[in-house]
Amino acid sequence: MGAEVLAISVDSPYSHKMWQEGELSKMVPGGVPYPMLSDPGGKIGRIYGVYDEDAGVDIRGRFLIDPEGVVQAMEVLAPAIGRNVVEMIRQVKACQHVRANPDEATPAGWEPGKKALTPQPGLAGKVCEIWAPEEAF
Amino acid sequence: MVQVGKPAPVFEAAAYLNGEITRVKLEDFRGKWVLLYFYPGDFTFV
Repeated sequence: MGAEVLAISVDSPYSHKMWQEGELSKMVPGGVPYPMLSDPGGKIGRIYGVYDEDAGVDIRGRFLIDPEGVVQAMEVLAPAIGRNVVEMIRQVKACQHVRANPDEATPAGWEPGKKALTPQPGLAGKVCEIWAPEEAF
Repeated sequence: MVQVGKPAPVFEAAAYLNGEITRVKLEDFRGKWVLLYFYPGDFTFV
């Protein structure tokens, strides 16, 4: 998908190993192929604003970081809500598109192959001439 | 505070990968896109 994945929770590396060997490897052949980081006490989660002091865990925060180390997208979900992997990948593609084409912006629902827009004064009030809401879906 | 358009706070952590326990530094990924995701705990859905 064009990005390195890092998973992180307050669990120890040994717990990650148990989970990987006991369960994840049954869902993904060979287990998940990316590092599972350990954040004891939620030190890193606290810095990222996702550590829940009462529950003592890092909640479901996700951060997309560009090659310069700058945050380009983020999302935080309540513990009971699972993520949308397809949407995460779409955001990676959109951020990469804009990085490669700095004059362009990706409108709602953009996916690779769909039309990007070039923001400029002449476009104000005329987006409807070149982009239709159906393209958002 | 973490904000879009601002540098991601750097960190170093112990990690599990391919049967080994290793260390991961965010700075080691400069030049690459990184998807960092936190989750509440092992044996939950991600």
